[in-house]
Amino acid sequence: MSIEINHLEHTYNAGTPFSHQALKGIDLSIPEGKVTAIIGQTGSGKSTLVQHLNGLLIPSAGTLDICGFHIQPLLKIKDIKQLRKEVGLVFQFPEYQLFEETIEKDIAFGPKNFGIEEEKANELVRKILPMVGLDESYLQRSPFELSGGQKRRVAIAGILVLDPQVLVLDEPTAGLDPQGAKEMMTLFMDLNKKQGKTILLVSHDMEHVMRYCDHVIVLDHGKVLQENDVRTFFEHPEWMIEVGINPPAIIRLKMMLQEKGFKIPDSILDMPSLVECIKGQVNGHE
Amino acid sequence: MVMNNIALGRYMPLDSVIHHLDPRAKIMVLLFLMIAVFIPAGAVGYVVIAAFIVVALFLSKLQISYALRAMKPMIWMMIFLLVINTLVIKTGTPWIQWGWFSVYSDAIYQTLYIVVRLMFMIILTTILTATTKPLDLTLGIEKLLKPFEKIGLPAHIIAMMISIALRFIPTLIEETQRIMNAQASRGVDFENGGLKEKIFSILSLIVPLFVSSFDRAEQLANAMEARGYDPNRQRTRYKVLKMKTKDIFGMAMSVVILGVCLGIWIL
Repeated sequence: MSIEINHLEHTYNAGTPFSHQALKGIDLSIPEGKVTAIIGQTGSGKSTLVQHLNGLLIPSAGTLDICGFHIQPLLKIKDIKQLRKEVGLVFQFPEYQLFEETIEKDIAFGPKNFGIEEEKANELVRKILPMVGLDESYLQRSPFELSGGQKRRVAIAGILVLDPQVLVLDEPTAGLDPQGAKEMMTLFMDLNKKQGKTILLVSHDMEHVMRYCDHVIVLDHGKVLQENDVRTFFEHPEWMIEVGINPPAIIRLKMMLQEKGFKIPDSILDMPSLVECIKGQVNGHE
Repeated sequence: MVMNNIALGRYMPLDSVIHHLDPRAKIMVLLFLMIAVFIPAGAVGYVVIAAFIVVALFLSKLQISYALRAMKPMIWMMIFLLVINTLVIKTGTPWIQWGWFSVYSDAIYQTLYIVVRLMFMIILTTILTATTKPLDLTLGIEKLLKPFEKIGLPAHIIAMMISIALRFIPTLIEETQRIMNAQASRGVDFENGGLKEKIFSILSLIVPLFVSSFDRAEQLANAMEARGYDPNRQRTRYKVLKMKTKDIFGMAMSVVILGVCLGIWIL
């Protein structure tokens, strides 16, 4: 079942001088089992939108249908607690949410909150740890003695252990080195391909969006500016420039070549075919 | 969620006479009135102070509900005080008597006195902090402490400490909200649940908050040192405070009120 969002609005601090409308009527349909990127500049409403997906925020107006839950204004958190298990939300810099003495306890924290017995929870922990690239020797170590990248793996394991249907990732690779970022993205892609999880990726990194996502949603000032499949989106670099997003390197290269007189079709989005295209034109010129 | 309830001490960006007063004048007025509140000047004294507060509140354009909200956390304290006082104070005339249990008039009066004093203090402080930007407040405190530097009081360091603390309140609130969201996503329910669950859920908030605060403190200290910060160096300010007639008038009013209260008490 896809995620249906209808006329969703959200106003922070309503009724005070600090009142601020972050979402101004969002209509979206996010496909199931796909990887969808949510992009937009700081303050475009991305974070506010994703916090609605697992009921951390309740809409001021409009509705949201996700994983069999119908979310509408004035809903009580108690009624939608199970939604938090179905929709896993990984925040930016999730390593800050670690607090337990051992990694085992920290990862088991989530399942226990949802009423899973300690033994069963520990079993789940053992299953999830290799998925994030850590072995059992880590179980009894303190999360605070790990490196930044390892801490993030533990924190992400703390969400994955809940086995959510939908995984929402807010800048999951921010602050990681390129190798670590690649491993992280590979992990998420595996979850999508092998387990069919729906993934929403909030990202500023257009290279990642281009390489890993199927679907792109652009938010601007609390509104949906556009919604496209990833190919169509990247075939029109002018859309990105319009909202101040830096296009991926290959698109920038394409634009520079076009400026110098090369004829490059919009549909070329990868390096080998770009090289092929240029080669043809250079040879033809001679 | 929880954070929006904190009204106490938040600056309200309005445009009023009180907002434009010199922070030093406002601090002095607060100081004089605080002393006045603690002088046992009876009902007359309290009426005079209350009148001043009402006028100040009106001039500040703050909503009455805002000032009242700041007093909400006090309700529990009032109840606690009332219970303790009825159990401890056994003077005056007995008003209620059920077997061994009795309530004496002095217990009620005593509680009322304390509650009124606390209310005045909270409203006064709320008016000050709601109408003064934190940085102006710090500047005011620094200037007022200046004379005490002669006897070794490090006015600048104190002011710097206060401004750093104030500067990081919003950051900490934001951080708290972030960690709460993250833990809520892992199934923590901060609003419902029994005492044991509450304590445990608070723990999942406090530990990460401490860890990140220590990180932040270290980063800030390094950043300050890297830019050559020396607490003992003389420095100038971008903003220079100037007392105006209305500032003097405000302070004079509070001195008069203090005088009236002192007068009633002594005579």
